[in-house]
Amino acid sequence: MKHDPPNQYQIFRHICPRNCLDTCGIISYVQDGVVKKVGGDCEHAYTQGHLCAKGYAATEYLYSPRRLRFPLRQFPRGSGLWHRVSWDEAYQIIIDKILELNDRYGSNLALGYNKYYGNMGILHSAVAGMFNSIGPHTKPGGDLCTVAGDEALIYNCGSIQCQDPESMAEAKAIILWGANPAVSAIHQYRFIHRAKERGAVIIVIDPLFTATAAKADLYLQITPDTDALLALTLAKILIEEEGLQTEFLAENFVGWERFVQYLAQFVSIAETVELTGLSEPAIRELAGFFKNNSPCAIWAGFGLQRHRNGVQSVRAIHSLAAITGNIARKDGGFYYRHDFMKFFPDNLLNFNPESILKSRFVDINTFPRDALALQNPPLKILWNSCRNPLAQDGELHYWDKLLEQLDLMVTVDLYMTKTAEKSDLVLPAVTYFEAYDLNLSAWHYWIGINQKAIEPCYEAKSDLQIARELTFRLNQRRPGFSNFPYEKTDLEWIGEEFTPEVLAALELKDWRQLLEQPKKLSESYIESLQYSTTKDKFRLCSAQAKSDSLPMLPRFIKRIKASDKSSSPAYPLQLFTTQPLLQSHSQYKDLTWLAHHDSREVLEMNPQDAAKRGLSSGQWVIAFNRYGSAIFRLKVNATLLPGIVHGHQGAGINVLIPYQSSENEQRVSKKQGIAFYDSFIEIQKAMVPF
Amino acid sequence: MKQKGFLLDLNLCIGCQACALACRNENQAYTNNNWRKVVSVNLDYSLSFSCNHCESPECFRVCPHRAFNKRKDGIVVIDSERCDGCGICVEACPYKAPKYDEEWRKVSKCNFCLPRQLEGKIPACIEACSAGALQMIELDHYDSKDTVLTTEGFPDIHLTRPSIRFRLFKPRKRFWNNNIKK
Repeated sequence: MKHDPPNQYQIFRHICPRNCLDTCGIISYVQDGVVKKVGGDCEHAYTQGHLCAKGYAATEYLYSPRRLRFPLRQFPRGSGLWHRVSWDEAYQIIIDKILELNDRYGSNLALGYNKYYGNMGILHSAVAGMFNSIGPHTKPGGDLCTVAGDEALIYNCGSIQCQDPESMAEAKAIILWGANPAVSAIHQYRFIHRAKERGAVIIVIDPLFTATAAKADLYLQITPDTDALLALTLAKILIEEEGLQTEFLAENFVGWERFVQYLAQFVSIAETVELTGLSEPAIRELAGFFKNNSPCAIWAGFGLQRHRNGVQSVRAIHSLAAITGNIARKDGGFYYRHDFMKFFPDNLLNFNPESILKSRFVDINTFPRDALALQNPPLKILWNSCRNPLAQDGELHYWDKLLEQLDLMVTVDLYMTKTAEKSDLVLPAVTYFEAYDLNLSAWHYWIGINQKAIEPCYEAKSDLQIARELTFRLNQRRPGFSNFPYEKTDLEWIGEEFTPEVLAALELKDWRQLLEQPKKLSESYIESLQYSTTKDKFRLCSAQAKSDSLPMLPRFIKRIKASDKSSSPAYPLQLFTTQPLLQSHSQYKDLTWLAHHDSREVLEMNPQDAAKRGLSSGQWVIAFNRYGSAIFRLKVNATLLPGIVHGHQGAGINVLIPYQSSENEQRVSKKQGIAFYDSFIEIQKAMVPF
Repeated sequence: MKQKGFLLDLNLCIGCQACALACRNENQAYTNNNWRKVVSVNLDYSLSFSCNHCESPECFRVCPHRAFNKRKDGIVVIDSERCDGCGICVEACPYKAPKYDEEWRKVSKCNFCLPRQLEGKIPACIEACSAGALQMIELDHYDSKDTVLTTEGFPDIHLTRPSIRFRLFKPRKRFWNNNIKK
C-alpha cells in the first residue's frame, strides 16, 4: 500500500458548474498533469470545504472510460453505427451544411441551437456567441426551471429576490416549503443546523416525505398543489385572530383591503382542512410559529411551482412572508433563488445584439413542437450543448418528428447521452478541470473563477474553443461569414465581464484576485437586491397579473378535472419526478462510483395503490399514459399519498410528461413553464423477459 | 489505552452519501472498493459506517497471516504485504468492513485516514460532512452521557466492541396527510 508523499500536488481552484444551487468551491490536486483527487475549497465560505457525493466523484467524471474522447459521426442517424472522425472532418461536415442552407434560404434562420445550464459557466455562452456571430438564426428562449415562481415574485414586488442563505442561520423558525436541501442543496445544512443550535425550529411542508422531512422538527404532509390555499389560510388566521398590524400593512401593501376581504369571503379553514389534507391543529400550530418564532425564514422550493397552481402558490407564500414582516429582514427572509443572470454583462450571450434582435426564438420548454412550427425556412440544423433534452423534456415524441426534419443534429457533451445517441455528430466537451470559466450561483452570493488544471483529455474541447475554430474555418471558406473574435482568449473574455459596477459589487480592484480565491458580493450590494418597503410597495393586488390574464390577488384555484389535459379515469396516478441524490438532472448517470447507490430506475407507490394492482416491491412494472411508456422497478412506500407515484428524473421517465402550463389559465404572454408534477399515468405489471 | 472512534449524530445525518464518496476520492489509489457506506435504516435515519476500529477486532483474531495490527491510538490497519486474500476476515467482521478487491486479490479497509491524520488533517469522511453529523472522538476521554453504543440497524456490537458512538434519533412531530393510512 503506497501513499503519495504530502505536498507533491499542484493545487488548482474550481467552481462546480452544475445546475445546482450550491455551486461549490473545489480544489483539484494534480500530479504530472493528472487530477489525483479533489477536495472542498475552504476559502469558499458558503460551501466551507465540503463537496457533495457527486463532487467527490469528480475524478471518475473526468477519467471515466465511458467519457467521449473523439468526435464521432453516426451514419445513418439513429442506427448506432458510429465512426470516429477528426475535428477537421467534423467541422467540414458542419460548415458544408451551414453554407448549403445559407445558399438555399438566403439566411441562417434554418440554423438553431438548444443550450441550457448543464454547465453554468459564463464562457459556455460561447454557443450563443457563435450563433450570434453569423447573423439572425433560431434561438432558445424562456426558462425551464423557475418560470412560474419568477413571475410570481415579479407580480408581487417587481423582481426576483432571495435573502443571503448564510443568514438563514439567524432565523428562529425555518420553513422549508417544498424544498429538499438534503438532496439538492446539502451545504445549506450547515446554516440550518447553526440556527437549530440556537434554538430554531425546522419545519417541512411537502407532499413527499423527503430526507429533509425526516429530519424536521415538524413535518406537514400537504396534498399536492394546495400550497397557495395553506398560505392564504395562515394569512387569514394571522390577520383575523392574531391581530397582525393592519395599519402599516394597509399603507404599504397594494390591495390590502381586497386581500383581507378575499380571505374573509373565500377562504375557510374547514375547506382548507379538506383540500390540503392537513388537520386544523396542524394548520394552527404552523400559524403559531409566525407569531411566536419571529423572525421566520421561508424557503419556497422549486417543486411546488411545477404544478398548475405554481404562480399562485409562490405568490401566496411570498405574500405570507411579506405580511408577517419576514421578507425585509435578514434574520427572517424569503428564500427562492436570486436573479444571477443579471449580474455579469455576459458578453458572449449578448454578442452582436442586432443579430439577436432579428433571430427567431423558440420556447425551450416546448422546443421541438415550436421548432416544427417554424417555416420559411424550417429548422434544419440543431446544435445541442449543455443540455440533454431527450432525457429532460416533456412530450418527447415531438423530438422524433423534429429529428425527421433536421438535416444535421450536432451534440456537444462529455458522455453518450440520450440526445447524443440521436445525433449525426457528437463532439467531446471538456470538464471544468480542463478550461477556465467564471461561475456564480443562483442561490448564494459567491463568485469564483474556475482555473484550468490540466490540458484537455484526448480531443475534448470547450464550447468557446469550438466556437473559435468553427467560425475561423467558416470565414476561411466564406470570408466575413462570422464576426466572432476568435483571437480572444478565455481569460480575456473573463476579464471583460468585470465592468466597474461588477468590481464595485465585489469590492475588488482587479478581477485577477479571483484567481487566488472566490469572493462574496459585498453586504451592501446583496442588501440592495432585497425587497424593502422604502423602495417599492408590495403588490398583493397585481395589475400586471391581471393583464397577463391571471388573478390579481394570489388565489388558490381548485383543479377542474374537465380542463385537465392528462388526468382521466384511465390514468389516475399523479407522477412526481424529483431530482435524484446522485445525479444532477441526467448528468453523472454513467459513473460507477455513484451507481452502487442506485435508486434511479425505481418507481415508488403507496401500498393501497400497489395492492389494488396486485403489485409488490421489487417487481418490474410498466408505467404508461397516452404519451409513452417506460419500465421501472417498483418500491412500495407507505409514506406516499394514495394516488401519487414517485420516480426520479433523468432515467427515461420523461416520456410520460405532457406539455402543460404551470399557470392555471391561458396566458397572454408566451412565457410558460411545464407543470411537470401534474402528469398522470397508470402502472401495471411488466412482462419482462429477464 | 487511547482509542480513536467515530461519533454519528442520527439527528444531523441527512444520508447524502458525501462521506462515502469522499472516502472513495481520498483512497481510490488503493482500492476499487468502497470502505464506507451509507444505508437507509428506517423512515427516520440512515447509518454511515466503515471499519469501526473495534476494541476487540475480529479481523485481527481470525487472520491466519497476522496481517492486522491494532495501533496504540486504537486504529486497526492491515498490512497488505501479509494479506493473501483468503477473505476469512471479510466473513468474520460483523460490519463487513474489510473489502476483498477482485483485481488486486487482497483485502483492504478503512485506515481512519491514517496518512491524513499524520499530516494533521481529519479523516476525509468527517471533513466531507456538510451536516456536521460525523465526528472523530477520543473514546477514553469522551463524556458519553448523551451517546449510546448501538442503535436499530447497526450490527451486533457484543463480539468486537466497535469504536463508534451514536446520538439517538429524537422523535419528531409529523402531521401525516388525512388521506394517508399510517
